[in-house]
Amino acid sequence: MNVRRVRQLAGVAIAVAFAALLAGCGAFGGDQNTFNPGGDVAERQRDLFILVLIPATVILILVSAAILYIVVRFRRRSDDEMPVQVHGNMRLEIAWTIAPLILLAFIAVPTVDGIFDLGRDARDDALHVRVVAFQWDWRFEYLDPEYADADGNPMTAEELFIPVDREVGIELSSLDVIHSFWVPKLAGKLDVIPGRTNRMWFNATEAGVYPGQCAEFCGIGHAGMKFDVIAVEPAEFDAWALEQLASP
Amino acid sequence: MTGAVIEQRTPTIGEALRRIRQEAATYNGVWSWLATVDHKRIGLMYGATAFVFFLIGGVEALIIRLQLARPESSFVDADAYNRLFTMHGTTMIFLVIMPLAVAFFNLLVPLMIGARDVAFPRLNAFSYWLFLSGGLLMTASFFTGNPGGSIFDGKLGAPDGGWFGYAPLTLNQFSAGTGIDYWAFGLLILGIASMAGGFNFVVTIINMRAPGMTMFKMPLFVWMTLVTSFLIIFAMPVITVALFQLLFDRLFGGVFFSVAAGGTPLLWQHMFWLFGHPEVYILILPAMGIVSEILPTFSRKPLFGYPFIVFSGIAIAFMSWGVWAHHMYTTGLGTTANAAFGISTILIAVPTGIKIFNWLGTMWGGSIRINTPMLFALGFIAMFTIGGLTGMLHSMVPSDFQQQDTYFVVAHLHQVLIGGALFGLFGGIYYWFPKFSGKLLNEKWGQLHFWTMFIGFNVTFQPMMILGLLGMPRRISSYSDGMGWGLWNMMATAGAFLIAFSIVVFMVNVVISLRSKEKAGADPWDGRTLEWAIPSPPPAYNFAEIPQVKALDDFWHTKYVESETGVPVPVVAGGAYGDDHDSGEGLGIHLPSPSILPLIAALGPAIMAAGFIYYDNPWLLPLIPVGVVITLVGVFGWALEPATE
Repeated sequence: MNVRRVRQLAGVAIAVAFAALLAGCGAFGGDQNTFNPGGDVAERQRDLFILVLIPATVILILVSAAILYIVVRFRRRSDDEMPVQVHGNMRLEIAWTIAPLILLAFIAVPTVDGIFDLGRDARDDALHVRVVAFQWDWRFEYLDPEYADADGNPMTAEELFIPVDREVGIELSSLDVIHSFWVPKLAGKLDVIPGRTNRMWFNATEAGVYPGQCAEFCGIGHAGMKFDVIAVEPAEFDAWALEQLASP
Repeated sequence: MTGAVIEQRTPTIGEALRRIRQEAATYNGVWSWLATVDHKRIGLMYGATAFVFFLIGGVEALIIRLQLARPESSFVDADAYNRLFTMHGTTMIFLVIMPLAVAFFNLLVPLMIGARDVAFPRLNAFSYWLFLSGGLLMTASFFTGNPGGSIFDGKLGAPDGGWFGYAPLTLNQFSAGTGIDYWAFGLLILGIASMAGGFNFVVTIINMRAPGMTMFKMPLFVWMTLVTSFLIIFAMPVITVALFQLLFDRLFGGVFFSVAAGGTPLLWQHMFWLFGHPEVYILILPAMGIVSEILPTFSRKPLFGYPFIVFSGIAIAFMSWGVWAHHMYTTGLGTTANAAFGISTILIAVPTGIKIFNWLGTMWGGSIRINTPMLFALGFIAMFTIGGLTGMLHSMVPSDFQQQDTYFVVAHLHQVLIGGALFGLFGGIYYWFPKFSGKLLNEKWGQLHFWTMFIGFNVTFQPMMILGLLGMPRRISSYSDGMGWGLWNMMATAGAFLIAFSIVVFMVNVVISLRSKEKAGADPWDGRTLEWAIPSPPPAYNFAEIPQVKALDDFWHTKYVESETGVPVPVVAGGAYGDDHDSGEGLGIHLPSPSILPLIAALGPAIMAAGFIYYDNPWLLPLIPVGVVITLVGVFGWALEPATE
């Protein structure tokens, strides 16, 4: 096999492996698969991950291939073989300092962009929900005035019902230790820390049930501290809210 | 007979101590180990102790993997599971990888710089005994730490807060029992041991280099020891303060972390990770140093870009102080802080990359021989590259909101700590074993060890990356069937047992190699640094004559001169620094005398800690003054005792 053919084959193999990896991760299914996003935030997070995964995979393949190539090409053929003693090369050093810097700059831009985009406050017209976490369960309080009862208490629920395609603004509150609010298909996690209120937003672009669970170790019941986000059509959501408000 | 009775009067303490010292100076018997101040023996004890803890931590890991192999498993209950993973992390980091690295510092640094011992030999012994007592104290929590009863009631007692022990989960209110107290006191004692060691090696490296060995003629491993020692000196005080705050809260009703009383839980995370991120480099830099010694030897070429590897190591050490909040992206620090720490984390990839490229450059054009040490060094480069690249993925703050606290992080950290640190350390064991035992480790068993460990490692931890992306949080004791995690967890468990098998292979290798008749000789690998110039195992005094150093890789240059084309030509009768002598006596070499007092001084802190842990029990409270007295007696005796006799 000549060198060109080897290169072609290697290129094809890399492309196939990578496609299989990405397709595979999406196809593995699972209710908490971060590669199957159901909302804008999770989708943006996945896209950013893949954006960096590609150069990272290429670098890994290059380094691994370099190791194998060097080990085979420069293997010791006889015991008294002595190589030329090279101590270094200034040009190479500068090159492999600057090249990663350029690559990293390209990575840094979408990162910082994403931090500020996703880290903004929820819009005023969002559905505002307070998530109360405690050992070892969750409670959801709907803070908008239209969901308050006669005494002004917010409507509460055991699972998080939300309307599709409407932004949900979350504020997080813990009654005891640190928990972490995480619905993998909708958005990355945010910690629920006693004594402070963390805020985030997300939306669901497709109706469905999105399981979530506590992501920060919080004691014996940590593994069972789960909840569902149930995204329904807006009309259905309004009907559900009415029903909730009507029941004592 | 009567005369003999008179002579058997009780000896005074001074006489007893002198007798122990005399006996220990013969290098035979138990006393010679308990009272040793020889850096080589202390290094061996560090290594052996760390390996025992490695087996304990490994068994904990296997239990964890058995529990997670299938969905809805009930191999252990959630309480025991939490305690096991807490101790697994704590043990592997503080009682295995750190002390294994310190074992290499002890064994190698004096030999590599042409010294007869470290700067403070008794302080060195004190470090070891303190490390042992801290480790034993922490491990003792298995017996009595559970509020529900002792281990004899079937209640595992170890701490249950995770290895980074996030407050307020670690406060009394949420973690009754004494497990966390054992953990905190154990870490405090280990911190003192590490600090003493750190100072010792900084002073040793700065002051005790052989004549002619300027800083930039030091072997790279010595450089990495120096950098790591500085990191230890600056990082340990941070966790010490945090642990004191935690203990104030737990024992005396302090309110540093208690929200109800106005405390701030996040304070713990800042303190812990301000220690914790430099700690990551404390764990990896020694392995980088080891790999930087192995690659040139087995490539017959000097290290490519030596000054760049040195300075990138220093740069990594500095930068490690500016990235701690990347462990805290999801705590709600705000967009500005997340952006700043995201960028500083991205930047740390640059010096790391420089090291990897220079290692490849070292091998390029060399004459490469693949023995087991080299296999581990190559495995290190490949696996550490994955660790570094997944670290880069973590630096992407928005996507890290998905990966944080999932199995993706578990995979990443093991990629760095096993694929990185542990592979490097095993490479070092295979490389220097002949120097200190006089026997080479068997090559066939070594290759079997490497390949089973390498395959086992990848089968265990690469599926964990997929698990993380499939949304599996870390630290859950069970998971339900429908999540699609079963297959990958089963793979990881199978891989873990393959790793366990590889460790058994290693132990068999050590036994059969030690029993082999074949002698390794002083320089089995055609080495480059000073330790290969002296016999294997080295005599107590190391160098009969302190070498005059003229170049980097000085020993290599006594064996070879470079021809005009830059090719080494063997020197006739090269490779010797003078005659070997059986004993240092005739050479007028004064070695520091053995001393039992460091051991005595090191017993005190653990006894004090036990008194504090049970301070509400009037029978155990007096352990505090007892411990204080023992430490004071040890330290005073040590100060009054002459260093050499």
